[in-house]
Amino acid sequence: MKNSRHKLVIGVVALALLIAILPVVGACATKPPAEGQALKLGLSICMTGKAAEKGSPMGHGKLDCIKYINEELGGVEGYPIDVHWYDNSYDAAKAATIVKKLMDEGCLFFTTNASAMMTASMEIANRAEFPGLASFSSPACTHPPKHIYAQMPDYGDDWAAFAKYYMENIWQGEGKPKMALHLLNNSTGYGARDAARAGADALGIEIVATEEHAATTMSEIDSLTRIKGKNPDVIFISSTPAPTAIILKNAYELGMYPGVAIGCAHASFTKALVDLAGADIAEGVYGVIPAVAWGDDVSGMAKMIEYCQRYHPEDEGNTDYMISWAEALIDAEILRQAIKHTDYEVLARGDVESWRATEMNGFRNVKGYDVEGLHGPVDFSNPEDRRGSKSVKVFQVKNGAITAITDWIEAPLVKYEDLEWFGK
Amino acid sequence: MDLPCGTRNYDYAKDMAILRTRTHWALFIGLLVIVFTAPLYLGNYWLGVANLIGITIIAVTGLNILMGYCGQLSIGHAGFIAVGAYTAAVLTNRLGFPFLAGLICSGFTAGFIGLIFGIPSVRVKGFYLAITTIAAQFIIIWIITHWSVTGGFVGISVPYASIGGISFKGEASQFYLIMVITAVCILFAKNLARGRVGRAFIAIRDNDLAAEVMGVNLLHYKLLAFFIGCFLAGIAGSLFAHWIGFLSAENFTLTDSILYVGMVVIGGLGTTLGPILGVIFIRLLQQGIMYISPVLENAFPGLPAGFATGVGPMVFGLVIVLFLILEPRGLAHRWGLFKSAYRLWPFSYCLDIT
Amino acid sequence: MAEFLQYVITGLAVGMVYALIALGFALVWKSSSVANLALGQLVLISSWFTYGMLVQASLPYWLGLPLTILFALLLGWIIERFALRPLVAQPILSLITVTLGVAYFLEGVVSFIWPMSVAALPRIFPVEPVHIGPAVVSQEYIWAAVISLALFGLLSLFFRYHRMGVAMRATADDQLAVQACAIPVTSVFSTSWMFACVVAAIGGVLISCIGGITFGLVETGLKSFSVVILGGLNSFVGCIVAGPIIGLCENLGGGYLTPLIGPGIKDIIPFIIIIIVMFIKPYGLFGETRIERI
Repeated sequence: MKNSRHKLVIGVVALALLIAILPVVGACATKPPAEGQALKLGLSICMTGKAAEKGSPMGHGKLDCIKYINEELGGVEGYPIDVHWYDNSYDAAKAATIVKKLMDEGCLFFTTNASAMMTASMEIANRAEFPGLASFSSPACTHPPKHIYAQMPDYGDDWAAFAKYYMENIWQGEGKPKMALHLLNNSTGYGARDAARAGADALGIEIVATEEHAATTMSEIDSLTRIKGKNPDVIFISSTPAPTAIILKNAYELGMYPGVAIGCAHASFTKALVDLAGADIAEGVYGVIPAVAWGDDVSGMAKMIEYCQRYHPEDEGNTDYMISWAEALIDAEILRQAIKHTDYEVLARGDVESWRATEMNGFRNVKGYDVEGLHGPVDFSNPEDRRGSKSVKVFQVKNGAITAITDWIEAPLVKYEDLEWFGK
Repeated sequence: MDLPCGTRNYDYAKDMAILRTRTHWALFIGLLVIVFTAPLYLGNYWLGVANLIGITIIAVTGLNILMGYCGQLSIGHAGFIAVGAYTAAVLTNRLGFPFLAGLICSGFTAGFIGLIFGIPSVRVKGFYLAITTIAAQFIIIWIITHWSVTGGFVGISVPYASIGGISFKGEASQFYLIMVITAVCILFAKNLARGRVGRAFIAIRDNDLAAEVMGVNLLHYKLLAFFIGCFLAGIAGSLFAHWIGFLSAENFTLTDSILYVGMVVIGGLGTTLGPILGVIFIRLLQQGIMYISPVLENAFPGLPAGFATGVGPMVFGLVIVLFLILEPRGLAHRWGLFKSAYRLWPFSYCLDIT
Repeated sequence: MAEFLQYVITGLAVGMVYALIALGFALVWKSSSVANLALGQLVLISSWFTYGMLVQASLPYWLGLPLTILFALLLGWIIERFALRPLVAQPILSLITVTLGVAYFLEGVVSFIWPMSVAALPRIFPVEPVHIGPAVVSQEYIWAAVISLALFGLLSLFFRYHRMGVAMRATADDQLAVQACAIPVTSVFSTSWMFACVVAAIGGVLISCIGGITFGLVETGLKSFSVVILGGLNSFVGCIVAGPIIGLCENLGGGYLTPLIGPGIKDIIPFIIIIIVMFIKPYGLFGETRIERI
């Protein structure tokens, strides 16, 4: 008994050691083919953990897209993309070590999908001049501009674009419309508040109430009761699908909706929202998405749906999968520009020289790339404006389907770093 | 005693020394050499992991003083680390304090906040005390996110650590800085535990009524434990802030707090070695888990979607469960057994494994 | 006044949901003094299982919901048998940490089997809210309140009168004495875990009806800690009273303090109240005060 216990302990320690040694195995498994020339790309993905709701479809999207690029397009300018990806479990400490890992492995740049994971890794990357691309971003990631780029408009831009659309197309009354904000208690929610603070006056919108909710909320009746007391014309929700669905349901129960106009930021406006709230309740809700709708007739759509159905049928119809697929296309475009304008030797080194080259020759040469129509054209050439695509479309839930009702609306650049209250 | 036969001490100082035999010295010097030459053969990544481990060791050592020695359960340690981290960030970024001043201030601020939330410990014990520390976690994070000074939800950036003219920019230089501070903290904890204060803590842990009867001032020592535990959390927070460079309140979650408790238990409660082993075990396991998904996905592309992602947490949970089933008293206990077995060899079977 | 009524009703309704999950926590604590850190994950996995039964296998309710209960019973038995029983008579903190390991394992199982990460259960309850005077409350909450009251009644009766219930209380008090009376302690433990899982499953189904199945369920489970501890760790009455207290604090406090202090205050008011309660009644509102001897 004593002896077997001893052996078992040794067994467990050995298992732990084995797991610690896995990096060596991992390094062997990810080696490119014999000729050995490949472009290294680092992905830090929150596949598990509390943001897995968005992280896992996004992880699937970009990995599938890179598979497509490598297998069907023969890589980028003939060089296959060598993906180094790790699951950060939505854990800041892990994300910080992952970015170092990606630098050590000589990746040319790295991407994250959650803005929180980018804020955890960005300063380490900035210090090393290691460029990064965030698919979902909050204003803090790109203000002030350093070495981090954003795939799409941030949560603040969602507000700006929606407000612009609201003033031009929905608002019929006299005077200033009254708007209430309902924000998730993190940078996703508060990005919208910052934008509203910066731009509401100029657009002629009065912010009458700001309410906050937690991601785990079970009832927002109380906050909506307060909002109802202010009698707003429009409510803007910046959050994720589950809490947004609760807010919609509660607004319905309180008899506020239908009645007021409700707009949602892009992190919450997905198919999951309609499923969770129920198609009948979500009917008529507006939302902004910095991409086209699933199944729209654009050039890249067919391939994406084919891959999604083949490898991850459970993500079918998920906007996050599509946005992430588009991100991988942009990654490839950045690498294409980098390899076109730089010697392979420089990029193969994987040190600060390669990163500078990737940033100056890769990122900065991406001009008006159309992302196969999946979202607004991407342009990183303006060193001040770090957002790739700058435009969103306004969508509305019609007969249970998220339907585009506008063309691209450009969200103007807000220079948060010049505003004295930002980050205070 | 776990000393080899024939160890004789002729004066008190020798009897109290931490390193008492030649083997101790040899091991210690070996460890120093290994640690301080590490940057020569470790890449940035492994140094980064080592730095994270060092920082966590400081925090968990603090928790061990609170939990392992004094018996006061705290499930809000990440909150106290956040206090330290944000103090350092605000002082060095906004007010231009030098790094060392920020470090010390972080320790004291976290310590004082800890004192405040420690006051209920005078009346409350066990899991009832846990709730006040959970409350501390939520209240601290709420204040951080809603107070203008701390950068709120946007976050706050933190400059490099620098002492005098030397700035600790690279991973290697940060490694030396963190390792030195970690060593100082471990030494402090070790001596604290051996001294009058440590004995008072242990008395309180084993039976606080009895301790009080024997003249241990409960209020004083319980609050002191909270102060010291949170002081170390503050130091760890400050180092974390300078290491990661940008703070967001989302970096300090309740899950982390719970995991710190797990590290203490897995390492072994109430020993100096315990937190070190526990932290190294959990942090390395976390890093190892990270590789599982990509390796599996690359090796077997045809796997169903959830396989690669689900296996990581499953293995992590399984290792913790198996480990505790086989070694419920922690790694430090196992290490003690190993040492005794080695000492008694070839009569190791005499050892009563309990 | 209409506002006040609305806050009170919402607070009571939400509080009953907290109470429901808290009951599962108190069950395990009452028989073995183990704090079940995997509570949130139990809620999560049973919600997903319900989804698997009702949506993926498209079984009717009368078959799908009982299957979920069966699954929960099995899950509780497995957890107790393989993770906790080997640790009987070991330091209590080791047992608590084991539940942490179980929590991670279950989380892995969930992403292993259900990689889609968010889903909605079919609408079990009608969407039209119930009007009470000027206030509204949705039917899900009313059901949650009814079910948690019913469970509370059943469990209280069980612990008071049934042999097994009495044995559970005795086990919590003194394991050695119970063993001396030839009561099988191990089966007491596994019964309490099986019950706890069933309660977590029922809570999970109700909460998923309200907010859908997401990883957020884990944190909702954690929130019930505060309910349990406020009520007193080993008291069902405590859970059923403390839940609504927490709900009321959130809603009334949030309702009247938000305009003064700013958004989000609702989330920490319960904790401030708890700290104050801890000063006045250290063992929770209904907890037993332990008499200690040296």
